[in-house]
Amino acid sequence: MDKVLEVKDLHVSFDTYGGIVKAVRGVNFDLKKGETLAIVGESGSGKSVTSKALMRLIPNPPGRISKGEILFDGRDLTKLSEKEMQKVRGKEIAMIFQDPMTSLNPTMKIGSQIMESLIKHQNLSKSAARERALELLRLVGIPQPEVRINQYPHQFSGGMRQRVVVAVALSCNPKVLIADEPTTALDVTIQAQILELMKDLQNKIDTSIIFITHDLGVVANVADRVAVMYGGQIVETGTVDEIFYDPRHPYTWGLLASMPSLDTSVQTELAAIPGTPPDLMHPPKGDAFAPRSAYALEIDFEHEPPMFQISDTHFAKTWLLHENAPAVEPPKAVVDRRRSMSANFAKPRLVEEAVR
Amino acid sequence: MLRYTLQRIIYMLITLFIIATLTFFLMKLLPGSPLKSQDKLTPEQITIINEKYGLNDPLPVQYVNYLGNLAQGDLGLSFQYDNRPVTEMIAGRIGPSAQLGLQALILGSIVGLILGIIAAIKHNTFFDYGATFLAVIGISIPSFVFAGFMQFVLGVKLQLLPVALWEGFSYTIMPTLALSGFVIANISRFMRTELLEVMASDYIMLAKAKGISQSGIIIKHAIRNALIPVITIIGPLAVNIMTGSLVIERIFAIPGLGEQFVKSISMNDYTVIMGTTIFYSALFIFIIFVVDILYGIVDPRIRLAGGRK
Amino acid sequence: MEQKQLENLSPDLFRPAAGKEDLEKIGRPSLSYWQDAWIRLKKNKGAIFGLIIVILITLLAIFAPVFSSHTYREQNLALSKLPPKIPVLEHVGFLGVDGKDKDGFDVYKAKNVKEYYWFGTDDLGRDQWVRVWQGTRISLLIAVAAALIDLFIGIIYGGVAGFYGGRTDNIMMRIIEILIGIPHLIIVILFILIFKPGVTSIILAMVITGWTGMARIVRGQILKMKEQEFVLASKTLGAANSRLIGKHLIPNVLGPIIVTTMFSVPGAIFTEAFLSFIGLGIAPPQASLGSLVNDGFRFIQTYPYQLIIPSIVISLLILSFNLLGDGLRDALDPKMRK
Ligand SMILES: Nc1ncnc2c1ncn2[C@@H]1O[C@H](COP(=O)(O)OP(=O)(O)OP(=O)(O)O)[C@@H](O)[C@H]1O
Ligand SMILES: [Mg+2]
Repeated sequence: MDKVLEVKDLHVSFDTYGGIVKAVRGVNFDLKKGETLAIVGESGSGKSVTSKALMRLIPNPPGRISKGEILFDGRDLTKLSEKEMQKVRGKEIAMIFQDPMTSLNPTMKIGSQIMESLIKHQNLSKSAARERALELLRLVGIPQPEVRINQYPHQFSGGMRQRVVVAVALSCNPKVLIADEPTTALDVTIQAQILELMKDLQNKIDTSIIFITHDLGVVANVADRVAVMYGGQIVETGTVDEIFYDPRHPYTWGLLASMPSLDTSVQTELAAIPGTPPDLMHPPKGDAFAPRSAYALEIDFEHEPPMFQISDTHFAKTWLLHENAPAVEPPKAVVDRRRSMSANFAKPRLVEEAVR
Repeated sequence: MLRYTLQRIIYMLITLFIIATLTFFLMKLLPGSPLKSQDKLTPEQITIINEKYGLNDPLPVQYVNYLGNLAQGDLGLSFQYDNRPVTEMIAGRIGPSAQLGLQALILGSIVGLILGIIAAIKHNTFFDYGATFLAVIGISIPSFVFAGFMQFVLGVKLQLLPVALWEGFSYTIMPTLALSGFVIANISRFMRTELLEVMASDYIMLAKAKGISQSGIIIKHAIRNALIPVITIIGPLAVNIMTGSLVIERIFAIPGLGEQFVKSISMNDYTVIMGTTIFYSALFIFIIFVVDILYGIVDPRIRLAGGRK
Repeated sequence: MEQKQLENLSPDLFRPAAGKEDLEKIGRPSLSYWQDAWIRLKKNKGAIFGLIIVILITLLAIFAPVFSSHTYREQNLALSKLPPKIPVLEHVGFLGVDGKDKDGFDVYKAKNVKEYYWFGTDDLGRDQWVRVWQGTRISLLIAVAAALIDLFIGIIYGGVAGFYGGRTDNIMMRIIEILIGIPHLIIVILFILIFKPGVTSIILAMVITGWTGMARIVRGQILKMKEQEFVLASKTLGAANSRLIGKHLIPNVLGPIIVTTMFSVPGAIFTEAFLSFIGLGIAPPQASLGSLVNDGFRFIQTYPYQLIIPSIVISLLILSFNLLGDGLRDALDPKMRK
């Protein structure tokens, strides 16, 4: 499969009053055509910052992409001028935000908000854009689009608004769609509808999706692959099966152990793991998760772990995979679900590429 | 929206009624009857006035008559200016005041908005700090000090502009500037904070994510939303200009309503004071009302939902 | 780069180390609300400038009239309209405090005056230095008194409305709504017309219209406090936690009240000056900053210093209060920033 997007060693920091917040610290991942990559992790782990960085939407000041590459269609987005970037936003990469109540302009008609990007990116005439906007509204399941197109956001319910936001995002058939917790603010039935809608549309226009969420139940439903973020880094990535049935990082164990059952699609928020997230202004030496981990090794407080590869698609950043590390028993909930993965290598390999 | 407007109109009438009543009884409390000190009037004139206004009637009767006359736009006769009707005196003076006030409001709003917008766009730059500093200065320096400063520098020293009087456009420049300083400062400050707030909102982020250019975002999305709350301060600022013009008209010897009002105070011309007070109050309340309704019209959330909050 | 030496890692390092680090290590001493506010205020250059100027002007207003050999009402027609003359500064040409009038004529020499009148004298030969500071004293007195009485009434009215809530609150707020609809200046003017201008009547006139704003703020803060107290009480299950109330509740509700008071002072200084301009201010021989500026306008063509000096003082005073108020607002409640 060809890669649409490749992120290499991405660093994002914010210059604040109290010091430099290193919100994203060396993130690597790629996104293949038509796949859905879920990014999970607790609050503050840098999911939103990462996704905004991909669109170059980090407010500057205080924020900046301090290092790294974002390769999209062979171009490094971090090097594009603002003008060139505007041609990518909305057209090649589109975004859906968490809160539909605040993400639409309250004083602009729904129709105009959809037509805006059509006129900008596809050079449609006003009337053609209107036709297309009506079509999009119909596509995302809004009844009476001819009436609705002339209404303002406050006349729409939360779920309806999020449908509009989806319509805006999909209006130019983007290659990549970034959805930052698109359903968190909605109630369960609406959530399911929006997810269904996104999957549906993905099949129709063959977009790749980066899906950010707190909700592991949703991940199991929609994602092909999962990236687990902690303290501004990706600590484990793998296919959904690999992450759910053969997790290797103690943080992933913590996340999974706090889930009641993997098979139910009941909404499950991540239960808190004891301790507090790392101070991103002064990230700890070694493994950022070690202070909260029951499985921490002494080396975790000295050296940052490298990335180990468990299979072609499965990577984890923990010293536990080192040959000298003692064998440890994951939490019971994780062990109970564990399945053996046929594609696994005989032994985890150190990923040289990640060593910089 | 209609219900809201009607409700506001009723409130407005109640307030006006209270002001009229208050003015009437306070004036009756004033030491000495205005007529007693009049030596210019002949006994016949006094009788005529007493007759016409029923000054010998019991207070409640006077009060009812007063309200009745008021409803017909009759504000009484001046005691100092040969019995001229107060309504006529006000009408004769309104021109310069209205011109001055409108000029100051328009200039102040435009300059204030431009400054505020630029300060917000160039947030945390030298320009932003400069505009913020100017705003504090503009809010702090009283209009009469600013007027005196201009009169001294532009009028007396440099002789660029006429020091006083009202005989052409050049005469309006200094008083307009003096009155608009406060408006500029307030509007720019308010616009800056509103715009910064809007620019940090989710829908602006979404608009950026659509690929709209920075200028497009500011013009099509941000300014409109930031402008709506700014409308609410236009009312109080217009009132501020009107009160400020009492002083400014006196300083620049402008034959406006404010100048006449101040003169009537120093001459104890009670009917003129009373009439002008009521006229001013009505105007204040009307301006606030108009601005409120305007706010409703501009904001679709209120226009379509009806009623505020 | 540390991973470069992966091969030579000691196997000892791979021993379990769970619980080694203290999980609850939350460093940083927590500063009290007031200490924190003071630190933030100190960082604000404008606010510190304002604070210094306010203190300086207040000291001058209190002591300058006391330590002068002249009084604010003492007239000496022979020495009228002397330009300002200040030792040392008289040699700094552009300041124009060299005792010469606008045509460069040395009035002091001509009248054979040895004494230096720092701010000159007015048309009745009264010492402007004393009059300006006496005027500042009166202006400050009026403004501070009005602000404090506003605060007092506001606390009682707003407090009653906030604590009792319900119908009482509803009625009390309706009354305020109607009062707010009446233009303030009209009330002030009518009031002073009836009670004649004077320090007391001016203060009272300002209070009549000024207290409503404070009452609303106090009420809002009381409501907020009730809410917090409720949350707090339910959290600690009735355990009285006076330290928490003293440390978090009171300061948080006090902040906006302090800031509002701070901003009402410059407003009152302005209103007093305004009244002088429309002929309803302090009557001579007493002076206020407003009456001095107003008088100064009569001599703008000939003796401009009589206008300039009180104008500078009143502007500087209002500016300093505003800067200080801005700084306090940001320091006491960063969220209140507007
Ligand atoms: N504008 C900013 N200034 C300073 N720090 C910021 C800024 N934006 C984000 N951060 C910091 O970056 C870190 C990551 O934030 P981010 O919003 O990416 O978290 P998240 O994983 O999306 O969390 P959530 O699940 O709550 O949305 C946080 O520690 C946050 O404090
Ligand atoms: Mg987020």
